[in-house]
Amino acid sequence: MTGLLQDLRYALRQLRKSPGFTAVAVITLALGIGATTAVFSVVDQVLLHPLPYPDSDRIVKVSQTFEGISTGDASPANYLDWVAQNQVFAQMAASRGWQGSLSAGDRPERIRGTMTTPNFFPLFGVNPMLGRGLQAGDAQAGNDHVVVLGYGLWQRYFAADHSIVGRDIRLNGEQYTVVGVMPPNFSPDEYGELWLPSPWGVPTHPLAPDKDPRQFRDRNYLDVWARLKPGVMPQQARAELDTIGRRLETQYPDSNDKTGVSFLPLHEYVVGDIRPVLLVLLAAVAVVLLIGCANVANLLLARATARAKEISIRTTLGASRRRLLRQLLTESVLLALVGGVLGLLLAVVAVPSLLALSPPDIRQFKQIGINREVLAFSFLASIVCGIVFGLMPALQSSRSSPSEFLKEGERGSTANRGRTRSALVIAEVGLSLVLLVGAGLLVKSFMRLMDVNPGFDPDHLLTFNLGLPSSTDAVRQLAFYQEVVQRLQALPGVQAVGAVSRLPLAGGNSSRSFSLPGIDKGYSADIRVSTPDYFRAMGIPLLKGRSFSESDLGSSLNVAIVNEALARTVFPGQDPIGKQLTKFGPDNLTLQIIGVVGNVRHVGLDTAPHSEIYQLLGQAPWPSMFVAIRSATSDPTSVTSAAQNVVWRVNKDIPLANVRTMQEVIANSVQRRRFSMLLFTIFAVVAMLLAAVGLYGVMSYSVAQRTKEIGIRMALGARRPDVVALVVKQGMALVLMGIAAGTTLALGMTRLISGMLFGITATDPLTFAAVVALLGAVAFLANYLPARRAASVDPMVALRYE
Amino acid sequence: MTEAEQPLIQIQELTKVFYTDEIETHALSGVHLSINKGEYVAMSGPSGCGKSTLLSIIGLLDTPTAGRYFLNGKTVENLDFAERSRIRNQEIGFIFQSFNLIGDLTVYENVELPLTYRQKMPAANRKARVMEALERVGMAHRVRHYPSQLSGGQQQRVAVARALGGKPSILLADEPTGNLDSRNGEAVMEFLQNLHREGATICMVTHDPRFAKHAQREVHLFDGKVVAEEELKKLLQETSA
Repeated sequence: MTGLLQDLRYALRQLRKSPGFTAVAVITLALGIGATTAVFSVVDQVLLHPLPYPDSDRIVKVSQTFEGISTGDASPANYLDWVAQNQVFAQMAASRGWQGSLSAGDRPERIRGTMTTPNFFPLFGVNPMLGRGLQAGDAQAGNDHVVVLGYGLWQRYFAADHSIVGRDIRLNGEQYTVVGVMPPNFSPDEYGELWLPSPWGVPTHPLAPDKDPRQFRDRNYLDVWARLKPGVMPQQARAELDTIGRRLETQYPDSNDKTGVSFLPLHEYVVGDIRPVLLVLLAAVAVVLLIGCANVANLLLARATARAKEISIRTTLGASRRRLLRQLLTESVLLALVGGVLGLLLAVVAVPSLLALSPPDIRQFKQIGINREVLAFSFLASIVCGIVFGLMPALQSSRSSPSEFLKEGERGSTANRGRTRSALVIAEVGLSLVLLVGAGLLVKSFMRLMDVNPGFDPDHLLTFNLGLPSSTDAVRQLAFYQEVVQRLQALPGVQAVGAVSRLPLAGGNSSRSFSLPGIDKGYSADIRVSTPDYFRAMGIPLLKGRSFSESDLGSSLNVAIVNEALARTVFPGQDPIGKQLTKFGPDNLTLQIIGVVGNVRHVGLDTAPHSEIYQLLGQAPWPSMFVAIRSATSDPTSVTSAAQNVVWRVNKDIPLANVRTMQEVIANSVQRRRFSMLLFTIFAVVAMLLAAVGLYGVMSYSVAQRTKEIGIRMALGARRPDVVALVVKQGMALVLMGIAAGTTLALGMTRLISGMLFGITATDPLTFAAVVALLGAVAFLANYLPARRAASVDPMVALRYE
Repeated sequence: MTEAEQPLIQIQELTKVFYTDEIETHALSGVHLSINKGEYVAMSGPSGCGKSTLLSIIGLLDTPTAGRYFLNGKTVENLDFAERSRIRNQEIGFIFQSFNLIGDLTVYENVELPLTYRQKMPAANRKARVMEALERVGMAHRVRHYPSQLSGGQQQRVAVARALGGKPSILLADEPTGNLDSRNGEAVMEFLQNLHREGATICMVTHDPRFAKHAQREVHLFDGKVVAEEELKKLLQETSA
């Protein structure tokens, strides 16, 4: 123990003695450990932590499958059959997203809540922090106007009023009694501002709120949650659900053809496909840390040469190799711990910025931050770093022969260190090339993605969402939206206004099945309900036929506009205008096609357009619509307050929700890609700079070691360009070896990010070439500076100095 | 031969060959040497004759290519690094030409250093040994000083204290006066003389005949071999001719 304290004291003295070395090493390590800690804090909370529910690994998200692929939702009748027939779940609950207006003061607010079965909270094992949860008695007509508030809404809207329980609030213009408030962080999905029951027990369909949903077998809109019974294994549950699914398929062939049941563990459902992105980012940042370690190892190797005398004296005086290793590792671990503490402080600052950049599926994990596990990780990472970068220099130092030093002074065994330092630089260049190629591929993918034509003109477009209570009948829905659109159209600077049920790239989708007259084959298409001027407002081109007109509302004919994808798929080589679509949706409507519009990338810029059918609002009901305003001004948000006033003049209880420009909607839809691209690029640039600094260090050291040789060469007639070429050639040889190794590694490693690419392959030759050119140029500069210094050596001074 | 009569150091047919690329350099060729306990031996010879190589092997800093080496009656030529470190630490005290003090350690810490490598030595014992050694060389009043704050003579006295602190069986001095002016050089030689009088075994490498005369016995080396004084003179004359 005394020895360790002595080592520690000496290590501290060493750090103090060389402030330049200490500062460079600590900053390098702090950057690496800080970045790794920040990314780990996200990985820890998203991937490693269980969800904040008791036995959360027993909770699953159940959904229907179609042809073996999960649809993510379920119909009420199927859900009720699953509840009745299964023996594997202790509880099953169903819910659906619910949007409405909350008004308690002058200004209404749009709320995203959940309509659910009463056993929702018990299934998750979470009790309200105030009042009670939903009860079976609440799910009955007349008793159903009760609501449980989410913690965030309670804090924001009700100023955390503890006497809220028992008070009445107005939702969609109707009175509801608050019966409870949920604790913070309880939100299994993004609809966690409040929870309310359905008068039918099972959540109602948003477009048919007055109908008993329990018989709906072909309307899939429910999220189904279940908790496995104690002792039941997931495989066992899967087998039983398969059996139930097959039974229902036989029993209800019309609605359940090719339909089965599957489930996902809740954690997997919540984390979704962000897992590979986070793991790739963690690996990338770990590589940055590794390069940082290589740099510090290089610095230590250089310092080891300066300390060769001290080490030799210690060896001469009887220090064993183990003892020397311990002392040198104490120094490197201490260095790493100082870097770690600074890195941790950096991480504390970096995590909020990281979260601000991150997509919503990461931001939903509210507890992301520096917790006990992250602290432990940071500590461990520092210790490991200290050992990783300290071990090689320590081993080399401890192996040096004291007799050689005594004979040769400080020149003993430096050749070996030179080789190790060169090897480290080759590794650094190689690893940074891998990261740069990864970043290059992601940047190019992103650029390709942003070049994709979304199918509409996103400039000068303001969008927002309006929601009428789902109980509003079709006539009042139409009247409201017609008046809003008309009044908005009259605003100065507004060119066109349209409304649509589903805004492209804003999330959410709806589909319907249909047939063709006389043909047995079934089709499916995404459906949109819109106002007549929607296509003009969005800049979606009309390719054939005509658009909707007000006169269609008075007609008994249900009209439809289809997109190009549907026209090509369903009517290949034919003119679809005038054709009919039959058995459309659950009401078996017949629609007549009056026009064909261009394809729109609805799901994502990276997803090919689906077949789409547009219906006219008024012929089809839809309570919640997105409004798109095409403005003549460059800033479409300038009409926001005027638009809000227009809506309030029509209905004072309806707020504008999700007010965004269409460019913001697009930016939001690519947020995950931008997040991974941005982080990867930052890591790659840092890696490249660290590698360049490492190369610069090695070349500077080499030049200093070769001062005499260079002096002799110049004395013998070498010109300055000859000396520059000599040094640059030596450095670039290392760079070329690094590039060769890195290219080989990158060809294998970039396959890991192939799922994150768009429009290019993981071996895109142009990206590889550009990265090699960039890295080569930076490395050349890192070589050139020491080379120029070498060329300025005065041969007389150099020879005299030696 | 009883233990008392046994030489402290006995070297037989010792050879040391250095290999660099394809060149073989015979630094020592068949050296025989005995040093008894309490003896003061000076090793001299021209530059490159193998003095320092022999001292390195005696000090277990290097290993011979061939031959036998007995220290205190035990064969030590084939020991591993750890065992050699242990013996060096406990049996041998070094005094170098360039002092070889560690600049980042105080006088006290420099003298204490070899003792910290001895396992299970209580801190109090260590302190007593350090202070005793420093008092012996007259440097106890400089314990908190760093080597850079001392004169060359003072630094060498600290180096001697460091060598003495471990109570070694033999002191090996490699040109101990080489970096000192004549006054300080004389002082160090006088100090070694006193240590010898008190019973210390000393083996000193020097190229200065004036200092070699302080020793009881002089061993002459030429081209890696031990030669008699007369033969050395003859060889030197032949070489210069």
